[in-house]
Amino acid sequence: MALVLLQDVKKYYFLGGQEIRALDGVNLRIDEGEFVAITGPSGSGKSTLMHLLGCLDTPTAGRMEICGHDLSQATSDQLSLVRNREIGFVFQSFNLLSRLNVVENVEVPLIYSGVPGRKRREKAESLVRRVGLEQRMRNRPTQLSGGQCQRVAIARALVNDPRILFGDEPTGNLDSHTGELILHMFTELHQAGRTVVLVTHDPDVAAVTHRVIEIRDGRVQREYDPRVAA
Amino acid sequence: MNLFISLETGLREIFSHKFRSFLSMLGIVLGVGSLIATMAITGGIERGTRAFMEQIGGLEMVNVVNKEISNDLQDFWNLSPGRTLQDAYAIKQAAPLVSHVSPQLDLGLPVSSGGQTMRVRVSGVWPDFLEIARHQIAAGRFIGDLDVDRGQRCAVIGNTIAATLWPNLAPADTVGQTIYLNDSPFTVVGVFTLYERDRDRLARERGLSKVEEDRRERRGTRPNRGDPFRGKNEAVLIPFTTMFYEFKSAAFPDNSSDTVPIENLTIRIGNLKSFEQALGEVRKALEITHRGVDDFGFDTREDWFDQMEQRMRSTRTSGGLIAGISLLVGAIGITNIMLASITERVREIGIRRAVGARARDIFLQIIVESVSIALMGGVIGVVVGFGIVQLLTLLAPGDSEPFISAASIGLSIGFAAVVGVLSGIYPAVQASRLDPIQALRYE
Repeated sequence: MALVLLQDVKKYYFLGGQEIRALDGVNLRIDEGEFVAITGPSGSGKSTLMHLLGCLDTPTAGRMEICGHDLSQATSDQLSLVRNREIGFVFQSFNLLSRLNVVENVEVPLIYSGVPGRKRREKAESLVRRVGLEQRMRNRPTQLSGGQCQRVAIARALVNDPRILFGDEPTGNLDSHTGELILHMFTELHQAGRTVVLVTHDPDVAAVTHRVIEIRDGRVQREYDPRVAA
Repeated sequence: MNLFISLETGLREIFSHKFRSFLSMLGIVLGVGSLIATMAITGGIERGTRAFMEQIGGLEMVNVVNKEISNDLQDFWNLSPGRTLQDAYAIKQAAPLVSHVSPQLDLGLPVSSGGQTMRVRVSGVWPDFLEIARHQIAAGRFIGDLDVDRGQRCAVIGNTIAATLWPNLAPADTVGQTIYLNDSPFTVVGVFTLYERDRDRLARERGLSKVEEDRRERRGTRPNRGDPFRGKNEAVLIPFTTMFYEFKSAAFPDNSSDTVPIENLTIRIGNLKSFEQALGEVRKALEITHRGVDDFGFDTREDWFDQMEQRMRSTRTSGGLIAGISLLVGAIGITNIMLASITERVREIGIRRAVGARARDIFLQIIVESVSIALMGGVIGVVVGFGIVQLLTLLAPGDSEPFISAASIGLSIGFAAVVGVLSGIYPAVQASRLDPIQALRYE
């Protein structure tokens, strides 16, 4: 089943009176259980694509379906709902709330799904355990290492049991060893059946996935399976 | 989003910037404080004045007074006997809406206890007078029907009279003593309680300050000068008939007790709701006894009440204005702080949006935060208001003690909440309109 379905998706910006075609007719289909990397040089439109896939934005033209929701002309509230229920997002810069501790950070998406307090806490704690941070539950993000922060972010992304997990350069701010560990977590999540989409310009990261989609000048330039290429 | 969570987030934010939050509350604190103080002061005046009104007879008491008759009726003037005891009988029989009626014969007489002598106004009245004038018996009893029927020589005296005539006795112990009115012996059968204003009671309880004592000494003024209760405290009341036969019949040899002109005719209306109808009944009854001559009128307390209302309205307006300005300043302060706080938290808002917060969740979060600040300011303001009131009573003790009602506290807190909502709206709209992508990129 297609979790992501893009048909001739266009995204134009106007910057200083000039039209910028960030995406210019993208066709893309990602099925359940896939492990995908989206790559491309900076300015290729991969960030814009990521924002669309992450339901932070709607396309200027074209058809976009995420997890069965037609979001081509979605309202802000519809996007919020899909972000909350169907999508987990892991950022390059972690994006944790510095005033909240680890468990509270993981709880945040559950707050907006209306999960009652006690259940929220239990669920958040079980996810913190799953990413191996049970010793750090009451710590603030500032007291954690980058790798630990990213594990908290992964726990937060998974807390609503989303159908797709997006990673936007999830290893970009980490040293290579920690990056590998985080990447390993994504691989494991995929093996457990989760659909994982990583945006990266790092070929090593792209290499662990099963399908690489290269974006250039706002279009899909080529697709390949890194396991059979080379 | 759960309101409780917003509250928790809001409070966390407020407490992480304690000093800043406190500063932004100041306007609200002052506004609510002055609101409380204003309401306490006007409330105190209102309560004091009402209590005073009650004690001097309340709105229900009406004096039937003489009135100049119009020029075209001058020729008929002689037809009317004026106010007499007949009027009191007529009202008693023909005006069922009037609950009490009493005629009054007054005479200035030397009053003596054998030792002390003073000259006071003695009044002959009916037993109903107790209710009409809202007198309260401290000891003994009031004049009864039998006293009036038989013309008994008994007297009920005011507290000040008792204390002046028998300086060595407690006023209550003067019951049973003999009092001489123009040398005629009367038995004191009752003493009234001491009537006083809040101010005088406070002064008595605290004792006079040295300065006040000196001043009074120098000027020789009596402490109860200007006391509206003086008349009640210096009352000497005897039965109407006794007054007539003992002191008046000689002056009016042609009159019986029924036709002697009376100095006063007071009535008490049973129910204020039927005030006008009751006066109508009285008017009909008196038109007969006065043979159709319109030479009487009614003196009511409504004008007093209107004046009091007006005075309080002006106090309330000025106090309300101060409170209003403070609250406005407070609202601007909170708006300002919330805008600053949002600018600081653009990224946080972006993160919350990214994990599923809707625009309205962000809106609610900001509103809850500003309302929390305003409510805290309101609570502190109530405490400050209590302080202002205490300070005012200490510095300038007025006629009536300020009085903080639960309603005024509720109202002030309500105002604070409204200010919180209003001052939060603009920042909340700004915050909820942030584009999640831009907000996430914000450094």
